[in-house]
Amino acid sequence: MKPILKVTKLSKSFGGLSALREISLEATSGQIVGIIGPNGAGKTTLFNCFTSLYYPTSGQIEFQDRSIVPEVSEAKMKLVKRCAVLFFILGLTWLPLFWSFFLPHTFFKVELVLLGVFILSIRFLLIRGLVRFQIWAWGLMFVFLMSDLCFAAWWLTHPSSSGYLIGTGISLGYVACPWGTVAGPFSIYLIFQLLLRKIRQLYGFRLGPDAICDLGIARTFQNIRLFFNLSVLDNIKIGFHVQMHSGLWGAIFRTKAQREEENLTETEALKCLRLVGLEDRAFDLAGALAYGEQRRLEIARALASKPGLLLLDEPAAGMNAQESSQLIRLILKIREKGVTVLIIEHDMKVMMNLADRIYVLDYGVLIAKGTPDEIRANPKVIEAYLGGGAVHAEA
Amino acid sequence: MALQPLKQNPRVFFLGLVVLAILLPWIPMGASSNYILRILTTAVLYMILALGLNIVPGFTGLLDLGYVGFYGIGAYTSGLLAIHYDLSLWVILPLAALNGALWGTLLGAPTLRLTGDYFAIVTFGFSELVVLVLRNELWLTRGPMGLPGISPPSVFGHPLTRDWEFFYLILLLLMIVLLVVTRLQDSRMGRSWFAIREDEIAAQCCGINLIKYKVTAFAISASIGAMGGAFYAKWFKFIHPDMFKFWESILILCLIVFGGMGSIAGTMLGALILIPLSEVLRAVLPQGLINARYLIYGLVLVLMMRWRPEGLIPFERAQAKKARRAQERLKT
Repeated sequence: MKPILKVTKLSKSFGGLSALREISLEATSGQIVGIIGPNGAGKTTLFNCFTSLYYPTSGQIEFQDRSIVPEVSEAKMKLVKRCAVLFFILGLTWLPLFWSFFLPHTFFKVELVLLGVFILSIRFLLIRGLVRFQIWAWGLMFVFLMSDLCFAAWWLTHPSSSGYLIGTGISLGYVACPWGTVAGPFSIYLIFQLLLRKIRQLYGFRLGPDAICDLGIARTFQNIRLFFNLSVLDNIKIGFHVQMHSGLWGAIFRTKAQREEENLTETEALKCLRLVGLEDRAFDLAGALAYGEQRRLEIARALASKPGLLLLDEPAAGMNAQESSQLIRLILKIREKGVTVLIIEHDMKVMMNLADRIYVLDYGVLIAKGTPDEIRANPKVIEAYLGGGAVHAEA
Repeated sequence: MALQPLKQNPRVFFLGLVVLAILLPWIPMGASSNYILRILTTAVLYMILALGLNIVPGFTGLLDLGYVGFYGIGAYTSGLLAIHYDLSLWVILPLAALNGALWGTLLGAPTLRLTGDYFAIVTFGFSELVVLVLRNELWLTRGPMGLPGISPPSVFGHPLTRDWEFFYLILLLLMIVLLVVTRLQDSRMGRSWFAIREDEIAAQCCGINLIKYKVTAFAISASIGAMGGAFYAKWFKFIHPDMFKFWESILILCLIVFGGMGSIAGTMLGALILIPLSEVLRAVLPQGLINARYLIYGLVLVLMMRWRPEGLIPFERAQAKKARRAQERLKT
């Protein structure tokens, strides 16, 4: 069977602390894969890397044969850094030019200084985005470069200072130049944004968490992250976000397509709630649910985006025996629907019942992998969980 | 209870309010009826502004202190278009809204990546910037001299001059804005905003592009603000940079906080109570204390924070009510 998720040599470090070290794992389509390990072993960090909340320091993550973490070579990175600094310096030189426009009639204007500071601070922000390889930064840099170019061209073709003042003492550049150069390219930027998904695929820019969800990886969180002040049904509807397409126009004019989509979503959402057994709580606020119900609601919300891979971060935490056996049944039901499940869990009973394969993490290193029975017998695992003495005591 | 059927059927309640509003100019209100009408028009204008602002801090959960900047942009767009090109109100309103949305996008796209307080500071800076530009760019805005002589709006060639005509006009605008805002609230977009407000990380992991939805919220809010400004310029026939000072932003924010952040009914109620309150106080307070009436505002807000920190109609309650209505709809 082909793996739906393939991770090779994934590392993540926060400053000097390496949270994950060269983790490699695979999840075959239709399997339930467990990840266990003591607290602080890096399990949640791993999930955060899968959903792009963190960007791994190195390594590859492939989902359905598509890389989530595009490779950026060292040389390319260096080039980008150099370009970014150059770009900032360009902005610095640009600014006096801009100001000198207004020198003929006013020497110093507060709003111009503020505008200048604003522009420079955006440029500074851009450097960070560029170095981190974020798509918006590239789009915005494009806008600035265009405005730089237009401005420079205007400057070169109107060299004399009297040339700035046209007619009534208003410089043409005042209106046309900053305005035109910002607004014009900005529209190009918007088109750019529209093409974003295509461009991302072609050039391998980093995917944000929203794009990951669109690809088909959904997750739940260790500490429940529901939209507590919204109704249960609305929570699920938000989960359906990537399945829906209506936008501003549809919302304001209540187009036929939008109404149909809403109705469809509503019935689908109720179906989703039925799956987790919450259909009679659909109209309560999510914050009013009991703890176990909130856990199930979070799973339902993740399922709403119709994922191929579901990441469950300690779903049975704080549940009693009856609730966790209910949860086991739910997860098995989810697997039957063809969803691959990756699950972090401390409750060994749940884990041994569910998992087809288990990976064991300790201090960011993968120390064991195998079927539940193999893991149970592995001395390394027992050592990690109970400390070195336990193995000897048993022996 | 006599009110029970009204409470159960919000549509009837709402319709009653509309009928009341339409009849209002014809109810004899004594010699100063025009004065009262003008106050009510102001109140409705602020209802529109509050509904617009509500989208950003109320729905999306971002503190926006620069709303008045868009109000000013709308007013000056309207004023300048009216003076230089003599356009009709029905052309000016969408143009002003578009201009507001444009500036909202321009400001929002780079700055909405900032979080919390930093974003609030940027928006504050923006509102100051707008006032500075309005005051200093004499060639465009006539600066501190203001823009006098804006022609009154006309409907089917009949220029509006009387107070009740303006009242109906603003009522119509309120209806349009209210329709747009309630529809947005119940759509995919509105839900995304709520999700961002409740939990950004969870929203992202549900596939919501934070920047896209934040910028849209900001732009829509700005365009409603600009539309309010456009009406204001046409109504008052004179605009001045000082009318769009930071204080106005805070006032509109107060209306929302007072009424209940994020709830549409609360926002409108807040404006309807707090704006006429100033005039009521002017009449009630003794001569020497009239200028102290804004202190009462402060007092009201402080009391509010003590007894009803979530506003008159809290967001959660509005949501719960909405859910109950959806349940009844599904049952039938």
